[in-house]
Amino acid sequence: MANSMARSFLQVAATEEVASPLRVVQIEGLVILKIIKHCKEFSPALVTGQLLGLDVGSVLEVTNCFPFPVREEEEEIEADGANYQLEMMRCLREVNVDNNTVGWYQSTILGSYQTVELIETFMNYQDNIRRCVCIIYDPSRSNQGVLALKALKLSDSFMELYRANNFSGEKLREKNLSWVDIFEEIPIKVSNSALISAFMTELESDTPVTQCDYDRLQLSTNPYMERNMEFLIECMDDLSMEQQKFQFYNRSLSRQQAQQQAWLQKRRAENMARKTAGEEPLPEEDPSNPIFKPIPEPSRLESFLITNQIANYCNQINGVAGQSFNRLYLMKSLHDK
Amino acid sequence: MASRFWTQGGSDTEEEESDFEDEIENVGAAETTGTAAGSRYLQANASDSDDSDGQKRVVRSAKDKRFEEMTVTVDQMKNAMKINDWVSLQESFDKINKQLEKVMRVTESDRVPNLYIKCLIMLEDFLAEALANKEAKKKMSSSNHKALNSMKQKLKKNNKQYEELINKYRENPESEEDKHEDEDEDEESDGSGSEFEDPSQLGESTDEEDETEEPDDDAADGAWEKKLSKKDKLMDREFKKDPSEITWDTVNKKFKEVVAARGRKGTGRFEQVEQLTFLTKVAKTPAQKLEILFSVISAQFDVNPGLSGHMPINVWKKCVQNMLVILDILVQYPNIVVDDMVEPDENETQKGADYNGTIRVWGNLVAFLERIDNEFFKSLQCIDPHTREYVERLRDEPMFLVLAQNVQEYLERVDDLKSAAKVALRCVELIYYKPQEVYDAMRKLAELSEAADGEKDCDEPKVEESRGPSAFVVTPELVSRKPTFPENSRSLMDILVSLIYKNGDERTKARAMLCDIYHHALFDEFSIARDLLLMSHLQDNIQHMDVSTQILFNRAMAQVGLCAFRVGLIAEGHGCLSELYSGGRVKELLAQGVSQSRYHEKTPEQERLERRRQMPYHMHINLELLEAVHLICAMLLEVPNMASNTLDSKRKIISKTFRRLLEVSERQTFTGPPENVRDHVMAATRALCKGDFQKAFDVINSLDVWKLLRNQENVLEMLKAKIKEEALRTYLFTYCSSYESLSLDQLTKMFDLTEAQTHSIVSQMMINEELHASWDQPTRCIVFHDVEHSRLQALAFQLTEKLSVLAESNERAVEARIGGGGLDLPLRRRDNQEYAAGPAAVGGRWQDFTFTQGRQGTSGRSGYSAGGRPLALGQAAAAGYSRDRSGKSRGTGGYYGRTGSGMRGSQMDASARMVSLNRGVRG
Repeated sequence: MANSMARSFLQVAATEEVASPLRVVQIEGLVILKIIKHCKEFSPALVTGQLLGLDVGSVLEVTNCFPFPVREEEEEIEADGANYQLEMMRCLREVNVDNNTVGWYQSTILGSYQTVELIETFMNYQDNIRRCVCIIYDPSRSNQGVLALKALKLSDSFMELYRANNFSGEKLREKNLSWVDIFEEIPIKVSNSALISAFMTELESDTPVTQCDYDRLQLSTNPYMERNMEFLIECMDDLSMEQQKFQFYNRSLSRQQAQQQAWLQKRRAENMARKTAGEEPLPEEDPSNPIFKPIPEPSRLESFLITNQIANYCNQINGVAGQSFNRLYLMKSLHDK
Repeated sequence: MASRFWTQGGSDTEEEESDFEDEIENVGAAETTGTAAGSRYLQANASDSDDSDGQKRVVRSAKDKRFEEMTVTVDQMKNAMKINDWVSLQESFDKINKQLEKVMRVTESDRVPNLYIKCLIMLEDFLAEALANKEAKKKMSSSNHKALNSMKQKLKKNNKQYEELINKYRENPESEEDKHEDEDEDEESDGSGSEFEDPSQLGESTDEEDETEEPDDDAADGAWEKKLSKKDKLMDREFKKDPSEITWDTVNKKFKEVVAARGRKGTGRFEQVEQLTFLTKVAKTPAQKLEILFSVISAQFDVNPGLSGHMPINVWKKCVQNMLVILDILVQYPNIVVDDMVEPDENETQKGADYNGTIRVWGNLVAFLERIDNEFFKSLQCIDPHTREYVERLRDEPMFLVLAQNVQEYLERVDDLKSAAKVALRCVELIYYKPQEVYDAMRKLAELSEAADGEKDCDEPKVEESRGPSAFVVTPELVSRKPTFPENSRSLMDILVSLIYKNGDERTKARAMLCDIYHHALFDEFSIARDLLLMSHLQDNIQHMDVSTQILFNRAMAQVGLCAFRVGLIAEGHGCLSELYSGGRVKELLAQGVSQSRYHEKTPEQERLERRRQMPYHMHINLELLEAVHLICAMLLEVPNMASNTLDSKRKIISKTFRRLLEVSERQTFTGPPENVRDHVMAATRALCKGDFQKAFDVINSLDVWKLLRNQENVLEMLKAKIKEEALRTYLFTYCSSYESLSLDQLTKMFDLTEAQTHSIVSQMMINEELHASWDQPTRCIVFHDVEHSRLQALAFQLTEKLSVLAESNERAVEARIGGGGLDLPLRRRDNQEYAAGPAAVGGRWQDFTFTQGRQGTSGRSGYSAGGRPLALGQAAAAGYSRDRSGKSRGTGGYYGRTGSGMRGSQMDASARMVSLNRGVRG
């Protein structure tokens, strides 16, 4: 679990390049524990917190974090949250902790985090901090025995599109952006101080198999699968809604085109008549005519996100099912022996 | 006869007068006017022998009238002068000017009547006087003053025209006046001397009293009648004089004259018919007779001008007789050709009976026949079906059938098969709705009444013959006046329908097909009817046909549904009928009454159209029976279905209408004894839900619509068996979870079924996976397996459904993008879907059928039609899915509410907060 990699600040500073792409998110073990603690305690409610750290070249070091208080209903005003944040930062600075915001973390259930809200928040952060990440922790997934920690950022090309707020099919094709390219996952590295690493090795037992390892053979995946399934179904509904939007758009578009065609035909005939009468032909484009007003194409963002979400669910199901099969095969072979 | 003229007289005289004026206006010289007037009055006057006489009489009377009017006006003026009322004076002056115009027209002379001149002088004098009297002028009211001034100007302008005359009159007033008076007197005496004068004078005198131009007094009418009868006599006399003198020319001329008057104001419609009928007797050549007969029939059609009313029945009968005579002539002289395409030669009809070449006569037999049929239909629509009159009217049907048969025969002989098909369709439409019993009754009636009618017919012509001169062209009754019906209505239908299929146009064929289907269904031949329906593809394109054909289609569907029920095919029956009942507008769909819609008012125009489409009462399909059958079918299908899906009852709905009714009846606090069909079926449903088949059957059996069925016993027997079967199924669905095992004997006893039946029903349920159980043969028991899907499995099922919907719509999107016809597809599909919902259940066969058809289309034509067809089916399936979906999401909605949305909501909160926090940082 613990993967230590010590690196001096000088080393990092020496290798720093200008605007090098973010390659790695390096998280202190402490931060991870804090995140896990915070998220797990409040589960299944969703919580968020601020990440503090340093941006060192292609590595983003996350050295500290603090949770946001859980807002109770709507009683709290926005200003309170902001005040809390400022106050917290001030306090941390006073005790000489990194108080440089590098992103935020949030908990999720079953990886259902791919929403427009997330993107909006991201864009907001991005405006101020050039490099920011969102760390997502999934407590429910962690129950399966994995460290469900993910560092995400939006891809540059997507951000560009998002700023232009143009998600028409044409633009997407132009940018060659598919649903996979919205989020970029950045590998996480957990760094611990040497002291901690030593302590950890000290703690590690000698025998390879312990009692708790048998727990891993547990097959209680049903609830998890069910939940995933439910969310999948919901996604399907959303997706078909999106599809309907497109169908509607297509229909109205073709209707409009037919209208335009009819209008053009009429206009041409009129022009012919005018020509024979020796008059000036009328223009073939009439912007004032309502039938020439382009129908706005529905945004594809939503369907992209849903697709992402679906992919996520599928991966999860796949992963869990794969693990379960492994366990079953293991048991079977054990029996056969 | 008298009554007819009573009704006509009033308007006639009035019109006659205005007509008269028109004519005078048209024709310049007095002479010609006279002729025209004369001929109009004495229509028998072929030679203008006593024209002058007539002319004088008539003209004078009109002139008198005008003069009289003028005098009255002058009197009024005098009165106005006395009281110095310039306003009324001005009015009178305008009036007299108008009258002058008329008088001038009537007299046709340039000379202005003295009366007028006198009046002008009088006015002039009075005006001068008034103007001179300054004081009086001052005292006048403003309106009066204004009138005076305008009068001054008008008079000045007006008098300029007549200056000369006025001066002349001023010089020598007396003589002129005297002379005029004399003239007047002369005329008076002249008029009274003439014996013909009475009526007109009588009429005129009333007119004068009224001062208006509309004499609608009885006196006038009476006069008119008198005149007419006289004229009739005259006409008779004219032709009776000497038969040998009558030439083709005279008849033709007369004929042209009468025909020309057609449609004009003041032409009595009956009168015209009579005149033409008379002419048929004196026609010289067969062709001429034919020509005149055609006109007679047209005139007879004209008798009733409105679209909504129907032709008087006696006229209709005569019309039919005339048609038969036409056919006689045509049969007798095969060289006469009836055609409405070419304008025949003027003197084509002059060619006599011995002429060998073809003689072309203008006319259209089919059009006439169709019109006659329409009139018959209309009369049945109008007559109250509960009266004797209606029955009497129905008896005329064989008469029409005879005519139609004869026309058809003739057309076949002249090889005009297209028209023959049209005529055959008319026959088919009279036959198709008759069950064998009614058909037999009609056949017998035809035989009986024809025998009686034959005598009467013999009598009638004799009477006429003796009355009038014997016709020049005697037409023997060549065409049979007696209908020949085959024993079996089916065989008749077969003959007619096959003729139509061979020769008819699209619409004729479609209608014939529908009639054929209806007839088959009526005779309990469900499979044939269904096959015809499917083979014809009428379901696909009925939407594009006219309304009356659509009604026929609906009727056919209803009948097929009834037929399916009678033969025990419940699902098929329901499939046919459910669509009819889905909108709650059965009456409208079958054109058996007008249903009021609460939501949108119909325009009067629409209402009238609808009324015109109504089916006559004897063709109605009994709505109660139809409803009973529909609801019972729905009940038999829906009750086990509800039992099998108790958990999510919304999931699979077979009949929405039934469900709705059931909900309504369940909402009632107390349920009284059943009253109408609906109540009965609902009561039966309640019993059936509990598995109480006996009670269910009893309730249904107590409906009194069953007596309308021919094989009542068999149907009820079948129904009972079905109810038992469904009761068993319902019981098994409802209680299978409570049993570990169930013995066959127990079941047979419970539901009073034979062992074999029970076994087969249960086995079938097992095979269809409706019942998770198996037979334990040795103990003769059903052993139930408790199979329950785990939640994960259920969800997986749900997911696959969703996915298939998604894939479906994806495919459609691709279709719209690449395939043609994406534009109007949605529209068509919706139509088709409606249909798919109904007849799809006519049997799985239908679906297969259309599907393969669609495939064939793919290979043949462009993807247009090919794309349309299978998609429509898909759409129907999709509709089913979507219904499922809504049901399911409702079912699990609670769950989502707790987790899904809750979580999402909180997440949204979280991110929203982050945004705000961020703003805080910036600030």
